[in-house]
Amino acid sequence: MKIQGIEINQLTDTLWEIPKQGGMLVPGRIYTSKNLLENTLQNDEAIKQVVNVAHLPGIQKYSLAMPDIHWGYGFPIGGVAATDLDEGVISPGGVGYDINCGVRLARTSLEFDTIRKRIPKLVENLFKNIPTGVGASGAIRKLSAKEIKKILEKGSQWAVEQGFGTDEDIIFTEEQGRLKNANPDAVSDRAIERGMDQAGTLGSGNHFLEVDVVEEIYDEEKAGIFGLFKGQIVILIHTGSRGLGYQVCDDYLKILVEAGNKYGFRLPDKQLACAPINSEEGRNYLGAMQAAANFAWNNRQVIMHLAKKTLKQTLGVSGSELDFHLIYDVCHNIAKIEEHNINGEKKKVCVHRKGATRAFPPGSEFIPQKYSSTGQPVLIPGDMGRYSYVLAGTEKAMEETFGSSCHGAGRVKSRHKALKIGKGRDLVAELKKEGIEIQARGYRTIAEEMSYAYKDVSDVVEVMHKAGISVKVAKVRPVGVIKG
Amino acid sequence: MKNFRIIEHTADIAVEVRAPDLEKLFLYSAEAWLNAVVYTEPATSGEMKEIKLESSSLEVLLVEFLGELNYLLNTKRWIYLNTEKISIKQNGKFKLTAVIKGTKLNGINVKLKNEIKAITFHQMNIERTESGFKTKIIFDI
Repeated sequence: MKIQGIEINQLTDTLWEIPKQGGMLVPGRIYTSKNLLENTLQNDEAIKQVVNVAHLPGIQKYSLAMPDIHWGYGFPIGGVAATDLDEGVISPGGVGYDINCGVRLARTSLEFDTIRKRIPKLVENLFKNIPTGVGASGAIRKLSAKEIKKILEKGSQWAVEQGFGTDEDIIFTEEQGRLKNANPDAVSDRAIERGMDQAGTLGSGNHFLEVDVVEEIYDEEKAGIFGLFKGQIVILIHTGSRGLGYQVCDDYLKILVEAGNKYGFRLPDKQLACAPINSEEGRNYLGAMQAAANFAWNNRQVIMHLAKKTLKQTLGVSGSELDFHLIYDVCHNIAKIEEHNINGEKKKVCVHRKGATRAFPPGSEFIPQKYSSTGQPVLIPGDMGRYSYVLAGTEKAMEETFGSSCHGAGRVKSRHKALKIGKGRDLVAELKKEGIEIQARGYRTIAEEMSYAYKDVSDVVEVMHKAGISVKVAKVRPVGVIKG
Repeated sequence: MKNFRIIEHTADIAVEVRAPDLEKLFLYSAEAWLNAVVYTEPATSGEMKEIKLESSSLEVLLVEFLGELNYLLNTKRWIYLNTEKISIKQNGKFKLTAVIKGTKLNGINVKLKNEIKAITFHQMNIERTESGFKTKIIFDI
C-alpha cells in the first residue's frame, strides 16, 4: 500500500516496512496494526519523517517507529534510530525539546477502597504542594546557577542528598538518575536561567501527576515482583526537563543548523540538523543533553518526594503504613550510547529515542537486580480519563528495536478541536462521574487533555505485546489527576 | 484584522505569516507569537529594549528573534508588546536590529495561555511571493 505516496509493505501482523529508496541509507520499519495504520497515519506526515530519518549519516539497520508514531519535529514522535559512533551523527531532532521527558511509577500499600472518600482532599493538597501550569515555579527555594550546575552533574542524586528521597529511589531510576558524562559547562547561561526556579515543577500541556488504582493484572508473577496488586493505589508522574531542556535543544539546533553546512550534510528537513558524534558540536550537544536529562530526573525525584509527603500528611499515615516505593523511572526522549547487536556483532551505537521507552530484557546488567527475572518495567501513560499500562522489556526488543518500546497514546485531535468539543460541558463533573477527581490551572487544559483528544493507548500497547517487544503486566486507572 | 493565519495542527500551534517586506514579516511573526502566549494583549505602557542578532540564514534569524521574546517572557518575566523599530540587513550574514516595547509581568493584568517550549524550524521557509514574503511557523507547546 501507499501512504502519502510512500510505498509501505506488510511483513507481519504488527510490522510494516518502507523499502530503501532515494537517499535512504536503511529501510524504515513501523510497528503498528492495520487499524492504527489506516485510521491514524493516512493523513499524517510521520511516515515521511521515518523516511527522512533513514537519511541520517551512520544510521544502523532501520529507521524505526513505534505504534504511537505521529508527526514530530525532525524525527516522528515514536521514532527510534541508532547511529554509528565513528561515522554517525547525533541529532537534537531525535531527542526532542523536552529532553528526558519521562514517567515514574511509585507504589504504596494503600488500597483504593479504604481511601476512596479522601481522594478529593488528596488531589486538592497535591495540587497545592506541586507547582503546575505555564511557567510553574517555586516547588523548592530558587536555586543559584552553581546549584543548578550541581543538579546537571548529579541528576536525582542531588535531590536525595538534599533530603528529597532515599538511596533506594536512585536504584530504581533508569541510569540511576544520572548520566555520568553530562557536561554542565556545555549548557548555556540562558538554559540554566530558565531552569533556576523550575526544579520540582510539573509544567503544562500533557504533563501530569496521577493517583491511580491498579485495575488489571496480566502477569501475576511479574506484577508481584514489581510490587503491584489489584486495587492498590500507585502514583504516576509524567514530566521532563522543563525550560532548561527546551533551551538546550533550541540552542544546539541553531548551532547544528549552521554546522550542517560545514559538514556538507544534505538532509530533507532543517529540524533534522545534526553533527558527527565525535565532532566538537556533537560532543557538546551530547554533554549538554545528558546534563538536561539529569535535570529532568532530579525534577521527577523532587515531585515524587513532595507527593509522598502530601500522601502521608493528608491521609495521616506513617512512612511504614504508607510503604511508598519507586517501582521505576523511565525516560522517553533521549539519545544514549549503548551496546547493541548490529549484524551479528556487538557494537556501541548512539540510540535516539524520541517518544520511545527503553525496554531492556530480563538479565540485563543495566536494570535493577530485583527485575533480573522480569525485564525492565516499561511505563506507558495513556490519557487522564482512561488508563495507563505497565509493561516489561524483552529480549526481542534487544534484537529488533535497540531495546525500545512505545511511550504513550498520542493526540488525534488538535487542542482547538478538543476545546470545541468541550465547550458548554462541565468536564470536571463528567470526570467526577467517571470516578476521577481533577485539579488543573485552567478549564482549557482539562478540555484539551480529555480522552477524546487521544488515541486509545491500549491499541498501541497491544501492538507491542503481540510483537513481543514488551509484554503487558498491569493496567492502572486514574482516580485523581493534577495538571498544568 | 490579524496579520497572520492560524493553521490547524494536532499537537502544537502553527501559523502562516504574509507581509509586504521582511521587516513586517518579522513584526507580524512577533504578533503571532504574542497571540499564542496570552489570551488578550495587555494594554499598558512599557519600556524599550534593543535587540541585535545575526545569522547565516533568515530562518535562523527569525527563530532567534522569536526565541528572544520567548526567553524574555519565560525567564525575565518580561512580556513583549510591540516592535517600535526594526531593520534587517544582509552583509554576508543577515543582521537584525530592533527596538521592542514590553513590560514586566508583575503588576499588569495578563493571563498566560501557553508556554511555548521553542520556535521550531519545522516547515519554516521564508519565501518571496508576488506581494512580498511569507513563511510558516510552528510553536512547540
